[in-house]
Amino acid sequence: MAFIQAVLDGLMIGGVYAVISIGLTLVFGVMGIVNFAQAEFLMLGMFVAYFAWAYLGLDPLIGSILSFIVIFCIGFLVQRTLIQRVMKAPPVAQIFLTVGLLIVIENLALLAFGSSFRSVSTSYQTSSLRIGPLFVSVPYLAAFCMAVLSGFALWLFTDRSWYGQAMRATAQNPLAARLMGIDVERMQQIAFGLGVGLTAFGGAIVLPYFTVNPTVGSQFVVLMFTAVVLGGLGNVVGAVIGGLAVGVIQSLSALLFPIQLQNLVLFLVFIGVLALRPTGLVGSSR
Amino acid sequence: MTKAVTPHVRGVFATRRRVLALGAAGLAMPFVRRASAKGAPVNVGVILPLSGANAQFGVNSRNGIELVAEQINARGGIKALEGAPINLVIADSTSTPTTAATVGQRLITQNNVVAILGAYASSLTLALSEVTERRDIPLMTMSFSDQITGRGFKNIFQIIAKASVLGAAQLDGTVAIAKSAGQTLERIAIMYEDTAYGVSQAKGLRDAAGKLGIKVVMDEAYPLGITDVTPLINKLRGANAQAVFPASYLNDGLQIIRSMRQQSIAMPIIGGAGGYVIPDFRKALGEYAENVLSIAPGNYDLAPQLTDAFRKKYGYFMVHEALEHAVCLDVLAQALEIAKAADPAAVRKAMSEAEFKGGWCDAMPGGVVKFDQTGLNTHAVPMMVQWRGEDLVTVWPDQLAKAKPVWSAA
Repeated sequence: MAFIQAVLDGLMIGGVYAVISIGLTLVFGVMGIVNFAQAEFLMLGMFVAYFAWAYLGLDPLIGSILSFIVIFCIGFLVQRTLIQRVMKAPPVAQIFLTVGLLIVIENLALLAFGSSFRSVSTSYQTSSLRIGPLFVSVPYLAAFCMAVLSGFALWLFTDRSWYGQAMRATAQNPLAARLMGIDVERMQQIAFGLGVGLTAFGGAIVLPYFTVNPTVGSQFVVLMFTAVVLGGLGNVVGAVIGGLAVGVIQSLSALLFPIQLQNLVLFLVFIGVLALRPTGLVGSSR
Repeated sequence: MTKAVTPHVRGVFATRRRVLALGAAGLAMPFVRRASAKGAPVNVGVILPLSGANAQFGVNSRNGIELVAEQINARGGIKALEGAPINLVIADSTSTPTTAATVGQRLITQNNVVAILGAYASSLTLALSEVTERRDIPLMTMSFSDQITGRGFKNIFQIIAKASVLGAAQLDGTVAIAKSAGQTLERIAIMYEDTAYGVSQAKGLRDAAGKLGIKVVMDEAYPLGITDVTPLINKLRGANAQAVFPASYLNDGLQIIRSMRQQSIAMPIIGGAGGYVIPDFRKALGEYAENVLSIAPGNYDLAPQLTDAFRKKYGYFMVHEALEHAVCLDVLAQALEIAKAADPAAVRKAMSEAEFKGGWCDAMPGGVVKFDQTGLNTHAVPMMVQWRGEDLVTVWPDQLAKAKPVWSAA
């Protein structure tokens, strides 16, 4: 029973890891850029939802939509003004730009918001559902449901809408896409906005059980990259599986080993996967 | 003796430092005064985590220090130094030990500080103390870890009771409070974040439990910055403990209590200071904070006449780290009066010999500050506090208590 409970908890939290990882993998998939500042957008998303709660009284789960919109716009502008310029530059320049962005965003947030931890309080954050001997934490479940919804919305967008198809075309072959009359730059701006927006959304939905402060990104950045690489860089389905896997591995490892070692176990599995399948669990599609 | 008189000349600082490094004990002699230092501001280094996971506590500490510096300067500075004002040189150690050490190095070489206060978190203080010890600069701290004064360092001063004592008192106090409610404590759970603070506090608890014959049914460390505490709480649920002793900072502390509520685990919670004794704890948890107990090395209700100034200035009660850092600076100012020189060696000598009373020392549980040869304040005694509404109330030991403790499955 402890095993089932651990898998359940792992899946719940893994769902959230999946959403924030989708954002990262989307940016790489469409543009071939590794965005090291991704976790900072998560932090910004958390702040947007926090302020929406504090000043507008919006529940973070609803505020998360606002987070998505605000961070989408910021991402769109960042792509347009900064990242577009290094699209054809050597990878080193791209790395410097995104790492620089990480430092700038984090420190601007420190200046603007101060360093204190902020936490929302909602009615359901201390409640849980009981299914026989199993406990399902309500905030975890709510975050998981929002994660599933957002994943579904993303699928609808990329699979059904013209913009989504154009974005995938851009990812496959920018030159051919341009020949078909697709505005490649615009698509990349949308993709970047969408990527950071989703990650911000993922940050907002964990607010009912997590605190936000300007350096919170560092707590997620490693998990995010692990999930993405585990699933196969640039692969959206891979990010989902990677995210869930990270959650479940962390949770299961706590059953057998001290909790201190949960990230050690995670990285042992990670290294093992990379050694056997360098393209990731769902790799080879790229 | 030519070396001993060099300070009169007050050449470049490098020269003076070399003299110090050579170990000229004469420096500490009372007649040695630097004529040119009269009235010049005394630089006091303040190294705190102003960003990163522990930033909140760093900011609180800085507020306390700034308050006392303003008070000292407003009443005319250090009299023995002809009214020299205190000039705080504040630096951010982030929450990384290596940065704490680097920043300490910089303050010593570039800012000519007479002493350093900091760095809140034990892991940071330990790293910083390696630098201050090497450079012979007094370091005053309110970090808990036993290692701080357990390494035979000459230049370290720990103003509060160390972690093992806090841990032991945490259990003693809990046993006493449970007993007054008619319950005998037999099984406890310990969980702690795995940096220097949590580890040494857990050790204190474990040792005390061993002595009292209390069974530790859960003993679990977890990484600082944990993103999911559910596994921890699952273990707690299966552990059948009567009370839980978490040693955590704020983010992990909130997650622990919320997850406990979700799983309707009802048992008294006795926090290990850290995140359990700051206003944000109550702000984030609301009514769920009520009656949560915690060990504390100090509390503002012992000396409202002093700590009200803090509340007035910053809008929240004077948290213990602010309070103890305030005491550190007051003690340093008193030591400067005795040393009659803005000189690290003289300050260290005064600090290790004198007994400090009055001023902010009144806010310490012992009311007196006196450091033993290891640099530990021998008068500091831990106490237990409990959340009542928006306030933290001292409830144990009896001679300090402002209210009766409530033993409840908060």
